[in-house]
Amino acid sequence: MSDPTAATGLPSPAPRPKRKLSNYMLDKNLQLRYVLLVSLLSAVIAGALGYMIYDQRRTASESIERDLKVLTQADASHQEFQEQVASGLESDDQMLVFKMVVVGFGLVIILSAYLVIMTHKVAGPLFKVSMYFEQMASGRLGKVTPLRRGDMLQDFFGDFKEMHESLRARSVADVELMERALAALRASHNEADYRGEMRGKLDEALEALDRHVAQRKKQLA
Amino acid sequence: MTASKSGDRSYKRSWKNLLINKRYQLRFTLFMVGLTSLLMAGLGIWVMWVANETTEVSMASVRGEACPKAPVIGDGAPAGADEDAPSRPSMKSDEPADGKPGRSPVPAPVPAPGSAAAPGSAAAPDAEPRHTNVQLDESSMTLTPTLPPDLTDRFVAHWTCELRQVGTFDRLERGRMRILWAMIATGVLLVLGLAIYGIKMTHRVAGPLFKVSLYLSKMREGRFDKVYNLRKGDQLVEFYDHFKLAHGGVVTMQQADIDRIEAVIAAAEAAGAGEHAAVAELRELLARKEKSIE
Repeated sequence: MSDPTAATGLPSPAPRPKRKLSNYMLDKNLQLRYVLLVSLLSAVIAGALGYMIYDQRRTASESIERDLKVLTQADASHQEFQEQVASGLESDDQMLVFKMVVVGFGLVIILSAYLVIMTHKVAGPLFKVSMYFEQMASGRLGKVTPLRRGDMLQDFFGDFKEMHESLRARSVADVELMERALAALRASHNEADYRGEMRGKLDEALEALDRHVAQRKKQLA
Repeated sequence: MTASKSGDRSYKRSWKNLLINKRYQLRFTLFMVGLTSLLMAGLGIWVMWVANETTEVSMASVRGEACPKAPVIGDGAPAGADEDAPSRPSMKSDEPADGKPGRSPVPAPVPAPGSAAAPGSAAAPDAEPRHTNVQLDESSMTLTPTLPPDLTDRFVAHWTCELRQVGTFDRLERGRMRILWAMIATGVLLVLGLAIYGIKMTHRVAGPLFKVSLYLSKMREGRFDKVYNLRKGDQLVEFYDHFKLAHGGVVTMQQADIDRIEAVIAAAEAAGAGEHAAVAELRELLARKEKSIE
């Protein structure tokens, strides 16, 4: 997967990112595999059937040329006519090959472009989820923005979003609980008569928890 | 999905589980199959159109090669239909050689054995008589040996040619039908093969997504179990690695929380504040977090 932010525009929630031509190949391995398979298959079918068409057509032309040759061999004046017809048939056959090659190439190019767009609608959501995974790996649980219109794997993305929101909600609750405990212990620390040297250790632990909670809050922002 | 062995977390592929994500898998597979069918049908019709044309041209070419005419014997042949037709053997009563009718036949005297031929009907004594006159009572019959000697050969040549042409027509028609059936068979096989291959190929994408979805639902419930590897041949390996990193990150986060909470609880207990309500809450939180990463 290439440059992530260009395609999904993470993590800014608005405006919703638009598709760009340069970002269509997000997951080359996944996309090219499918595009190449379908394009190659279409090329093979078109090539094989195209060859059959040409072969049949050429056989018919040769048959006509042969018959014409037999018919005109007795009369030398018809020689030119026979050659003209033969040349006409040959150029027709060549034109047919040319047309078929152009149609075949056109088909493969249009098909490949369409498939890149289609597979992009799968690779895009996967790419976006991958970006959130990267954020989660570093402990960041920011907000999840929805997929673009027309994207596939909406169900999967829905599962991910639910998990992310649940994890975030639980983390927020945990942070709040830790914050409350921290405040309560600090308040009681001032009121209660804690044991001498242990008091310093509790202060250190509460200080560390305070920093920890601050970091968590930052990650949840 | 079924586990292959108890305790072994690798799952084997089963044909029952091939369609994990119907929407995604069928969409891609049907597109591939539909496109192939369209291509095969469109180009197939074109091929058959050209093949029909070629067959017709070839048949016309075969028809153009004229077979030698069959010799006609007996009545019923159209007059002047065949110049090469042998003349019918004439069996006429005492007709003159010039064929002029109206003349009253004059019965020729029967020559005595050993005597010369009758005048008018006899040839030179040293030559073979061209006509044989047979006297039957009061009339005579003329037998003319007019069947050509190559009659059999001509019959054979004619019918061999006719049969060869019919055989060629049959061969051309069979060739045309062979092309049609070959294309139908290829098309059906291709569509079936592609459907199976398409589902298997998309399964290798849907499989990892399904697996990640299972982990996601566990994570949603606050369970962060160990994440196992993908099966051999699965795609989205990079995506799965990202997921594992994310899972690892969440587990690390939980572990860091546990460490901090444990330190505070230990310090509070040591300081004599172990019975504080806040510490009790922290203990509950600790227990929940420890359970979540078991």
